Amino acid sequence: MFTFVVKRVLGLIPVLLVAITLTFLANQMVPGDPIQTLLSDHSGNAALEARLRTAYGLDRPLIVQFFDYIWSILNGDFGLSFRFAQMPVIDVISSSLMISPILALSALAIAFPLGLLLGTLAAIKQNSWVDTGIILVLVAGISIPNFALASFLVYLFALQLNWVPVAGWGSFEQAILPVTLLIVPAAAYIARLSRTYMLEVLRTDYIRTARAKGLREKVIIWRHALRNTLVPLLTTVGIILGGLLSGTFVVETIFNIPGLGSLAIQAIFARDYPVTMAIVLLFTIFFAGINLLVDLTYGLIDPRIRLGGNRA
Amino acid sequence: MTTGTPSLLRRAAGSDFLLRFRRNRNAMIGSAIVLVVVLVAILAPFIAPHDPERINMLAIWEPPGSDYLLGTDSLGRDVLSRILFGAQVSLIIAGSVLAVTLTVGVVLGMVAGYFGGWAETLIMRTVDVIFAFPELILAILVAAALGTGTVTVIIALSLVWWPGIARLTRSLVLSVREEMFVDAAIASGTPAWKILVRHLLPNIVSPIIVRASVGVGFIIMAEATLSFLGIGVQEPTPTWGGMIRDGLASLRTDPHLALYTSLALGLTIIGFNMLGDGLRDLLDPKVRDR
Repeated sequence: MFTFVVKRVLGLIPVLLVAITLTFLANQMVPGDPIQTLLSDHSGNAALEARLRTAYGLDRPLIVQFFDYIWSILNGDFGLSFRFAQMPVIDVISSSLMISPILALSALAIAFPLGLLLGTLAAIKQNSWVDTGIILVLVAGISIPNFALASFLVYLFALQLNWVPVAGWGSFEQAILPVTLLIVPAAAYIARLSRTYMLEVLRTDYIRTARAKGLREKVIIWRHALRNTLVPLLTTVGIILGGLLSGTFVVETIFNIPGLGSLAIQAIFARDYPVTMAIVLLFTIFFAGINLLVDLTYGLIDPRIRLGGNRA
Repeated sequence: MTTGTPSLLRRAAGSDFLLRFRRNRNAMIGSAIVLVVVLVAILAPFIAPHDPERINMLAIWEPPGSDYLLGTDSLGRDVLSRILFGAQVSLIIAGSVLAVTLTVGVVLGMVAGYFGGWAETLIMRTVDVIFAFPELILAILVAAALGTGTVTVIIALSLVWWPGIARLTRSLVLSVREEMFVDAAIASGTPAWKILVRHLLPNIVSPIIVRASVGVGFIIMAEATLSFLGIGVQEPTPTWGGMIRDGLASLRTDPHLALYTSLALGLTIIGFNMLGDGLRDLLDPKVRDR
């Protein structure tokens, strides 16, 4: 198990290096000179320009800037913001740091059991109207983009019925719609997978044995079958979380939630690239960390993974 | 004389597919919706009642009525016409992304699976790295770096999508490569490219088609999401994502823009996903035998 953990953790290093390189290159490729933008009215002021260039470290060779960028990130320093002159990126994003992960994780915490329940129900009632009904809802849930669903839900629940506030962040009521929007596609995806896995498990020999020895159907489904559908489901948590993180960009934009997602979008428009890139990097690190956690849990549950180590 | 039996067999197999297609509810409903969307996209210039980009400041935020069936937006542009042309924009981008990802993904996947060695290592490591990013966030990063626009959207989405196709193709090639007929082709001196194109490709094409058809809905969704966030295709080109963003901002007073556009986008993706699911049921032998 120890070598497995070490291997997986070391496997993250190239991914993060590439992510850092990509964000650095993206920073370079971006059109326009950030210092000129920053100067705006003072564009003739050569002394100020030189001072800013030094402050942002843009007066040095590219390769030096690159290694400096890596070194700074390792020290938790993401450089200075372009939009807020000379303000460290970390200060710009620090107050929003936890909002997107909180949104994504709370959605996951509800979507997982909900999806599992729906998928299992559909599987044990296979081909009945319950199954058909659930499948229809799932197709819609997976297909309708969260911002399109948002127009219906906001219109109905916030504007017509006045049950929840239209936007904002801070109270429980304000979190209901955004989290619901994140839950719907995630739960639908989980339900669809758990239906498939459950149908597969229900055809296996050990379930037939359980039935043959006269166990009650409830015990068979919820004790025996469910356990084995959980294992493959666990591997998809990473994918689902990736979707949820992307979803926070949209949901935060819709509801004016001051999280990293909406901050990243604002930063893109303000051409505040250090902030954008820092956020993308943070999301990638968070995503990689969760995937690592999933891998490790999976290895813990299923010894074949950590011993074989061969991924398909 | 000798060709009689195979062609009969082939025709039987073809009609068998059509029969099963017609019996598959997902495939039928999905293809009906997709057909409507494709027709709308092609015929948009002829059936749209107004110019989708013409601004009319005397008719802003008209409610749905006889002049403007689905009302107008903040610049007095006809919502119905913009929805119809929006279908065109969506499908052109989805089609381009599909063409790029299928070409790049299948070629690189075949190279990796058939030749192995350093080419495989390089290709598959690249795939792993791209998979390490959440899809949409990588697309946002690319769009931010390259600047907005149709071509950027196509590049960004293609970059995110080809690794899935490449990984699938490689695994398919790895299993088919072990077949006797490939050994036979190698033994008889067939050049590698011919083995790939003539012998391997036909045997791996149907799972790839399934994968591609399942992907179309998600590509349309991703394009709409980029436009919604304002980093996709730019105004005045009508995009469903951009229209929903504008509509959400004035949902309280003028809900028609957001609601009708959301309906069009939602139904389109449902259609493509149902068709994809249906095709998967029909073409994936594992599912078919159940």
